[in-house]
Amino acid sequence: MEPTRDSHATLVDLLDRVLDKGLVLYADIVVSVAGIPLIGVNLRAALAGMETMLKYGVMQDWDERIRAWEREKRGEKAVSMVSGDGDGPVDATAFAG
Amino acid sequence: MQHGENIRVAPPGEGEAVAKVEGRYLYCVADSGEKVSLGPIGINGQEVYAVPYEDVCAVVHDCPAEPYQSTDAEVIKGWVIAHQRVVDKAWEKWGTVLPLGFDTIIREQGGSGPQQNVENWLAADYQTIKRKLEAVRGKAEYGVQVFWEPQVIARSIAQMSREISSLEEEIKSKPRGLAYMYRQKLENAVKREMEAKADQCFRDFYSRIKKHVCDLKLEKTKRADDDRQMIMNLSCLVDGDKSTHLGEELEGIGQMEGFSVRFTGPWPPYSFVSA
Repeated sequence: MEPTRDSHATLVDLLDRVLDKGLVLYADIVVSVAGIPLIGVNLRAALAGMETMLKYGVMQDWDERIRAWEREKRGEKAVSMVSGDGDGPVDATAFAG
Repeated sequence: MQHGENIRVAPPGEGEAVAKVEGRYLYCVADSGEKVSLGPIGINGQEVYAVPYEDVCAVVHDCPAEPYQSTDAEVIKGWVIAHQRVVDKAWEKWGTVLPLGFDTIIREQGGSGPQQNVENWLAADYQTIKRKLEAVRGKAEYGVQVFWEPQVIARSIAQMSREISSLEEEIKSKPRGLAYMYRQKLENAVKREMEAKADQCFRDFYSRIKKHVCDLKLEKTKRADDDRQMIMNLSCLVDGDKSTHLGEELEGIGQMEGFSVRFTGPWPPYSFVSA
């Protein structure tokens, strides 16, 4: 399948990235914008269906659990790479940090 | 916050001239030492240009040292789209960029102008910037979201699970009050099975996707705006020519009954420049 970047269909994906991600600069020469998270929150509230919530509470727990599992897995990988036990040429942790 | 308070500009119409503190809005850092203008393509039509240091540059526009703020979603959307348009332009022109998040503004300070401060920052962080540029060179970010239709999955689980089908059978022969309790039991059993199934799918998809990417970030799942449920939300950093392989893998996942996939990009590497 082909990836899409159609500007209407992927606006949410764009907002997620531009508002919450990107290179962050920590320096006193940067205008400190306490408003950044606020802008994000306001905007999300304004757009229905954008809440980062799951439909079923039971799956919300599951989501937390599976993400904890992944974090753990990444940690293990980092260790196993040191001992030369990587499972392929590319590894999710290879570029981390 | 404190900075913001100090530099409030007088409301329009007030006669007194207030000295504005100058700033530079940052779009991205690019892999070029070229001193060049990109034209009036910035937020609110601002003139965008590159501030070089050695062989890298910051892509900026001139602005007062105040954050862009609004409670109007449409206004913010417009700014974000403009921000992205500039990053795209720089990405297209120079091939490798480190995109900044929205509303990063460098100000003048202690007699040092904002332009000088941008250069000082590039000089001070030069090694880090070079390392990050290398890490994303020739790569792009893709969004991958996997959904399932809970009804379809639940149905297929019910067919597979002996516990569930026997509960369904028992309900039929029970009086109303008891049947209610059985239905509760049934629902719990279905939930349990759904979670186990979600676990299994997640691990399976994760390892299948991981083969085709240089790096990936697990994002929070979101509420879908239809009957579907998102069970996986990833940002993937992918080597230029590998995106077709990833696409083929996702095609396979999307063809499974009850599953669908959203595949977006290529994006500048927003999720892979922070560390």
